[in-house]
Amino acid sequence: MNQEATTKTSYQIPIGPIHPALKEPVHFEFEISGERIVDVSVKLGHVHRGIEWASRKRNPIQILYLAERICGICSYCHPAAFALAVETAADIQIPERAEYLRVIQGELERITSHILWAGVAAHEIGFDTVLYLTWQIRERALDLTEYLTGNRVTKGIMTIGGIRRDITKDMLPRVKKDLQYFKDNFEKLCHIFLDDKTVGMRSQGAGILTKKDALKLCAVGPTARASGVKKDVRVDTSYFAYGDLNLKYITPDDLTGNVNGDVYDRIIQRLLEIDQSIDLIEQCIDKMPSGDIVAEPDIQKLLNQLKKVKGEGVGRHEAPRGEVIHYVKFDGKSDSPYTWKVRAPTYNNILPWIPMLIGEQIADIPIVAASTDPCMSCTNRVAIVSDGRKYELTKEQLHKLSVEKTRRLMK
Amino acid sequence: MRFSMLPAVFAQMFKKPWTNKFPAKYAPANTTQFLADVDEGIAEIIPPVPTPNGFRGKIKYDKVKCNGCQLCIKVCPCEAIEFKKKEKKIKIYIARCCFCSQCNDICPVNCLTMSDEFLLADTDPYSKDLIVE
Amino acid sequence: MTKDKKLTPEELVKSFKNEFKSNIKDAIIKKRAAGSKKNETPSIWMKVDKSVFKDVVKHLCEIQFPHLSIASGNDLGRNIELIYHFTVNYGSRMKEINFNISVDLPKSKPEIDTICDLIPGALITEREKMEMLGVKIIGIPDDKRCFLSDDIPKGVYPWRRDETGADKLYKNLHGGKK
Repeated sequence: MNQEATTKTSYQIPIGPIHPALKEPVHFEFEISGERIVDVSVKLGHVHRGIEWASRKRNPIQILYLAERICGICSYCHPAAFALAVETAADIQIPERAEYLRVIQGELERITSHILWAGVAAHEIGFDTVLYLTWQIRERALDLTEYLTGNRVTKGIMTIGGIRRDITKDMLPRVKKDLQYFKDNFEKLCHIFLDDKTVGMRSQGAGILTKKDALKLCAVGPTARASGVKKDVRVDTSYFAYGDLNLKYITPDDLTGNVNGDVYDRIIQRLLEIDQSIDLIEQCIDKMPSGDIVAEPDIQKLLNQLKKVKGEGVGRHEAPRGEVIHYVKFDGKSDSPYTWKVRAPTYNNILPWIPMLIGEQIADIPIVAASTDPCMSCTNRVAIVSDGRKYELTKEQLHKLSVEKTRRLMK
Repeated sequence: MRFSMLPAVFAQMFKKPWTNKFPAKYAPANTTQFLADVDEGIAEIIPPVPTPNGFRGKIKYDKVKCNGCQLCIKVCPCEAIEFKKKEKKIKIYIARCCFCSQCNDICPVNCLTMSDEFLLADTDPYSKDLIVE
Repeated sequence: MTKDKKLTPEELVKSFKNEFKSNIKDAIIKKRAAGSKKNETPSIWMKVDKSVFKDVVKHLCEIQFPHLSIASGNDLGRNIELIYHFTVNYGSRMKEINFNISVDLPKSKPEIDTICDLIPGALITEREKMEMLGVKIIGIPDDKRCFLSDDIPKGVYPWRRDETGADKLYKNLHGGKK
């Protein structure tokens, strides 16, 4: 990055669409003055795949698998929200045992996702040892997922009116053993992230999102809660078995006593949520009633029933990144839904990036953007345009800048 | 605090690597040659990590049991199944299959099952190994 | 942003009916129970007239600053229906209400006021409605395309089901016209 001295007071850095340390194809234009970011504008939709159109040719059972492929990390919450929406529209009551099993799967996904995020965040600030440590723990979580659902990532476990696989008695010891492993390592992770000087230096005071901004910009999930907004679909409403369980809002002041809304708070937030998820799975295992796991085991009958449905429904589920909401409308004439609208959590967490990034340095872009845990797919190139000349800044260089800042701070 | 990593580092030195070295300890220079050697019994393959119960691998199809009801075609999310009108049997293109096992669930005569075979990479999507009929 | 008042769904609907009288065309409260304790989650489906839409949102903001999840849309043939999915009463255990406000816009003149000045977080979803359904949002601070790429011609709205839909753009897609 050999830029020349210029008399201009500010210049622009376009980042993306195929992008830097954020993992989603999204296009940013940063207005930079010196090292400080003055303004940001965002363009989305580079991976718009027309999923809503694809659904017009499919029946609800087929759409479950289409929804599963919206995102690789959230491969449970999209089908879950879709199934909820369809069940609301068709007024299908789910067996109680299935509700508990759904919670277990959802929380296991949250553990996997948050641990993955912790590794990515550590990598962004140049702390790669922690990346390996966290992903080692995540491997156990993925193994458990494979044991419970059959596959590691695309779980294929959700179905309309219940869940496809039961957790039998002989499976419980393995689940309990792995939960104990997560608990033991949770202490270790907390120690690394909360007591380490390096993490603190890079994250405290960086990328602040105030409570007012979080509310106004409709932020969701851990991003909003880290700013002190008490908003969590699991606590706010009663769906699946969450209404029966003992859970409360988690905000970073539970641990530190005050809310700053910075990157450090978002780290604390996610760590606390891992702990909460382990607790929820344990509660579910204890309270789970016996019984059926599907309302209508005959899929043929289910499809015929859904074909006659006329109405609309909304399904909301708290995904690892925040609230995911699906809207489904049936017109009673065809196999496939008339309208299907998907909203993933990152959709609402894009606008909060703007107040977070303004006033930060270029080297902070990776960690601040990563701190909202955008659901992403990644490549690597940033072009710096200065004085009409084009310089290219690859992801490696941007990452290097970030690592260098950590080194500088450590001196 | 400064040296808190040291115990972990020392412990790591005496641990066996976590990775299962499948198919061989060192990457073979020529994979085709390596596989040929395995067939002849010269080289030995290190087995992959065993799959868990309920793993969804390549579909197995029992042609005799199939009654040609076409329900599997109705639920297949990726239209991987084709109906052969003359024989009233089905043909599954594994290259399109998304391994959801929904066809297994709906099949009234249970002629479809998931095996634990997962090494399905091929250069040709229509190769013999990737079509089940 | 008063947060201490927690209205029940019935009170909420009543407050809107008192305020806007006949401009509230339809208001249904649905409740859905879940889990073994059968705790219920209420949702309100309210249809309002286009002319009062902005005032309805303003009234909602006065009760409690709502969370706008998303606005979704349907092409109903002659009309375009926009549904704004709000949630209110968040912040206390199982008190949240899903509040869905729908508006019908005639296809000949699909125009609606922006709510970005009340809820700045509505910007992305409003931009999406502009490009996907061809709704004109009056007074939107930023009307650039957000999701569609620049090479998609103007006057094509992918979510519509008539001749302005994107059917002619589908070529070698599975299920599309070859």
